[in-house]
Amino acid sequence: MKSGNPETGGMVPCLLIGESAPHIHCGRTIRGLMLDIIIAMLPSAVLAIVYWGVDALRVMALAVAVAVLAEAACCRLMGRKSSIDDLNAVVVGLLVAFMLPAGVAWWAVVVGVGLSICLGKMVFGGIGANPVPAALVGYAAISVCWGIHVDPDTVQLATSWSDPLTKLKFFGAAGIEKFGYADLLFGRQIGGLGSANVGMILLGGLYLVARRTVRWQIPLAFLLGTAVVSGLFYMAAPETYAPPLFHLLTGGVMFAAFFIATDYACSPSRTAAMFLYGVLGGALVVLIRVYGMHVDGTAFAVLLASLVVPYCVLLRPKPFGVK
Amino acid sequence: MIRMWKEFSKGLWKELPPFRLMLGLCPTLAVTASANDGLGMGAAVIFVLTLSNVLISLVRKIIPQKVRIACYIAIAATLVVVVELLMQAFAYPLYQSLGIFVPLIVVNCIILGRAEAFAGKNPVHLALVDGLGIGIGYMISLTFLGSLREVLGKGTWFGHPVMWDGFEPFGFMVMAPGAFIALGLIVGAMNFLNMRMAKKKAQGALQEMDGCAACGGCAMATKSREL
Repeated sequence: MKSGNPETGGMVPCLLIGESAPHIHCGRTIRGLMLDIIIAMLPSAVLAIVYWGVDALRVMALAVAVAVLAEAACCRLMGRKSSIDDLNAVVVGLLVAFMLPAGVAWWAVVVGVGLSICLGKMVFGGIGANPVPAALVGYAAISVCWGIHVDPDTVQLATSWSDPLTKLKFFGAAGIEKFGYADLLFGRQIGGLGSANVGMILLGGLYLVARRTVRWQIPLAFLLGTAVVSGLFYMAAPETYAPPLFHLLTGGVMFAAFFIATDYACSPSRTAAMFLYGVLGGALVVLIRVYGMHVDGTAFAVLLASLVVPYCVLLRPKPFGVK
Repeated sequence: MIRMWKEFSKGLWKELPPFRLMLGLCPTLAVTASANDGLGMGAAVIFVLTLSNVLISLVRKIIPQKVRIACYIAIAATLVVVVELLMQAFAYPLYQSLGIFVPLIVVNCIILGRAEAFAGKNPVHLALVDGLGIGIGYMISLTFLGSLREVLGKGTWFGHPVMWDGFEPFGFMVMAPGAFIALGLIVGAMNFLNMRMAKKKAQGALQEMDGCAACGGCAMATKSREL
């Protein structure tokens, strides 16, 4: 776009005004943002260790270690300055770990996190260049290939809890009667080791929103999308479909809304676009859960929604004077 | 003789069809779920490409300019029918697994591309080695891509198990997206190697050149050198 000159009142308004130095730095750094996200993930991580013991710690530590090593190796191969100190690799590793069950095989973690960093992030040019959330790339790849080693249902056998979404898938609304909302909120359900602790994720998410690390529109729109679409199904046939609150408190919905869908590089930035993106993702979750073959379609819903983002971004006001 | 070697060897690295010229990508992506299929497809293309190059080079002075494309396609189509019938007779399982992609060799851009760019302008012996070189390059590429996908995706190579016990096949690789990702990674790796080689070669001689021209790894550089 041509840059108009504000003084001559050009036809095209100046969208980017560059003043000469010195500038005031607002104090935000990538490292600071990533630290915020890690802090927000801590409560859920602690609860995961309380519930699953050293297994959960093992998965998270391995994921973070592999992520940092993979990023360092990629940077070296690309002949770049190492970018591991911006903590983004740590966050990506933790995000992948949060979606995996605590008993997952170590090689699945290594391959998943390695793919996330190498194919999800570095191959496009590093942080800020990824077209889809990096953590989802590796998770999607391993969950498609090694479903039996990655699905919470087939991995977490030594527990009395069960996976509410599997019950819903195979037994319909009758299968989920015994789940209380309080149980779901406190994470007494089988799911990803971190993402199933819905209450703690919500706590961390609210912290992120309060700190303005993430924009509130995306999580709100995502949860709204899930609630409205599942509400429509529920209103149509309450004896077959689960109530909206059930969908919000199970699987990875809360986690995806606050931590995955808000990825800086691949979420839009205008309010209308953010709402469209969030609602689309949330609606896709329910559609996959109802019609799809996946038990919890959250990861795939966010992947699809982030592929639509380039079109959501077209929702913008017409610049003054442009036909 | 040197000329013939030059025309033959360019197909093996410098103009490797699917990875350097980006030609013939449709079968490259579609039939390389196993090394065997890649090899079979490559062999069929060698046969068709070499013979069509020779035939087209033989008749290049008789064909009127205006109808040359139609003639090329008629020649290629004849040869493809021959391959198809041979395959049905002697390699029926391969014919079944390649499916529609055998008849589609007719419209493969490598065949028409070599005919138009090379065989239509050059004598028979050069057209023969050009077809052989490009065809063998294509077969090697397809077999390599097929091997990569089969070893990772099924844990076998030409049908024989090659990975360790307890290896969990990475099934994603034999599905359609795996083909795109594997192709992209191979092309990236080849560009990386080429840039490395060009840099090493150019270190001494091209000291005075700056920026893009000094690297020699991409199309921009060739262009600026020609200017």
